[in-house]
Amino acid sequence: MKKFGSIAGKTAIYIILILIAIFALFPVVYILLGSFKSNKEILVGGVELLPKAWLFTNYEQAWNLADFGRLTYNSIFYALMVVLGSIVASITAGYVFARGKTKFTKIVNTMVLCSLFISIGTLSLYPQLRLAKVFGLNESLWGPIIIRVFGMNATQVFIATGFVRQISPEIDEAAQIDGCGFFKIFWRMIFPLCKPLIATTGLMAFRTAWSDYLLPYVFTIADRTKWPLVVGVVSLKSSGEAVSSWNLMLAGISISILPMLVVYLFLNRYFIAGLTEGSVKG
Amino acid sequence: MILPMTIGFLLFSVYPIIWVIQWSLFNYNGFSEPIFLGLENFIRVFTRDPSYWSALGNTFLIAGLKMLIEIPMALILAVVLNGKLRGSAMFRVVYFLPSVFSIAVVGLIFSILFSAYNGIVNAVLWETNLIGKNISWFGDKGHAMFVIILVSLWTTFGLNMIYFLMGLQNIPKALYECASIDGASPLRQFFSITLPLVAPILQLVLMLSVLGTMKMTDLILVLTNGGPGGTTEVVMTYIFKYFFAYGDNAARDVQFGYASAMSVVTAVILGIVTLIYLRISRRMQSIDE
Repeated sequence: MKKFGSIAGKTAIYIILILIAIFALFPVVYILLGSFKSNKEILVGGVELLPKAWLFTNYEQAWNLADFGRLTYNSIFYALMVVLGSIVASITAGYVFARGKTKFTKIVNTMVLCSLFISIGTLSLYPQLRLAKVFGLNESLWGPIIIRVFGMNATQVFIATGFVRQISPEIDEAAQIDGCGFFKIFWRMIFPLCKPLIATTGLMAFRTAWSDYLLPYVFTIADRTKWPLVVGVVSLKSSGEAVSSWNLMLAGISISILPMLVVYLFLNRYFIAGLTEGSVKG
Repeated sequence: MILPMTIGFLLFSVYPIIWVIQWSLFNYNGFSEPIFLGLENFIRVFTRDPSYWSALGNTFLIAGLKMLIEIPMALILAVVLNGKLRGSAMFRVVYFLPSVFSIAVVGLIFSILFSAYNGIVNAVLWETNLIGKNISWFGDKGHAMFVIILVSLWTTFGLNMIYFLMGLQNIPKALYECASIDGASPLRQFFSITLPLVAPILQLVLMLSVLGTMKMTDLILVLTNGGPGGTTEVVMTYIFKYFFAYGDNAARDVQFGYASAMSVVTAVILGIVTLIYLRISRRMQSIDE
């Protein structure tokens, strides 16, 4: 009897787990499959998941007519710059905060940590835009890139500081005896030791940049040739020809989520580590 | 070496706060000459702008309801997946998946799923005879709120589950072994061992969840854009639209001075919520000890 009970319990648990898994996966699967449907089929709706005929024309149209090629290029450019910049910036910051002993670094470190709690989120976008205008950065993706890289992402800095602290200071001392300065120790010793950190920071930065919506939106709204993918895809919803462009919208969404999906499938370990580390250790 | 980033930080994180505080005292729309108003903008927030308070109310409502569903769900899933269950690693990866996508794109995806005429949700409900006519999910406040909470649940339950899993993995297995030798049922073990020991993580998750929901912007802008008739506006989107002309509501005038004043009020309210929360959780901790 007891055995029967535990089998029934296990089955029930599995059924619930699978239902939640469907809840998690369904929207993504539906969009990916839907992107191969004809516009007519999408507009009629219905419960069929699979397209009646597999059409690749949606992607062709999105790529050529709706200029998704351009948008994808912009997104790749933006993401690449933010990833490279964030890696260098956050590891540098981590190194300085972990090893620097001057009053100045301590004050800055405290301020960055405070910014975790005192922040006005989206509401600082407008002042940032005004500021960017002063430097002539308000009409391209360089504004968002600079904000993302130099704005000190508190979480990333925090993870990096923790990581550098774990590297034994004896390494620094040994290098110092051999005649290395502060900078040389950083480039020759610390940076190469930070490989796992580079992976998580890079991934987090990639996710942020690839998903960014409002920040690039307010900077590039006037010039659609500079839009990244997310801005372009969302704009299809509110544009006048919305009804005729459902298929483009589905194809566009797919183009924007597929890279993320692939990266996640291969590197989910780093993703989970990166997203949780920063907050839990706090 | 840290200098460029310090400058960046001061410019992009500190300066906006100062900017907002400064302009909150002016009537300013970017073109006309700014007029000094003193505290007039603040008086307007507190006495003459019910829309702001209803947006704030919506924010708390969404945060509260979402928390009630999400936290137990994430915790139970974490407990189940922490056991020796076949395939639990796979479930973890699947549940976490929604957290990696762009919130704006997620909003778009769900607005397609819940579309009134050709959305699959209505189609499924129709086929299973649960509804007689298509539900207009974004046509009234109740339905729209339901979708908003569902979507924000979708995006973060996996992340919160992972937080709990990390907490659970720090609990020594020996405690459970002792408990089962003493004859404690699994349920008893959950309440007497698991819950008290994940309490610190629980506090953290609660705070992150509430603060995250309070700052929600992209999702609302894309999913409902505050509609219908501004009834699902949350505090961030409401203020955002005084800074920028956005979407269908583009006709509204931008008012930087007033928007700044609302930002200051909101930042203070968020700060107070955080403080109260920290106070309460500290008191809870001291009772435990």
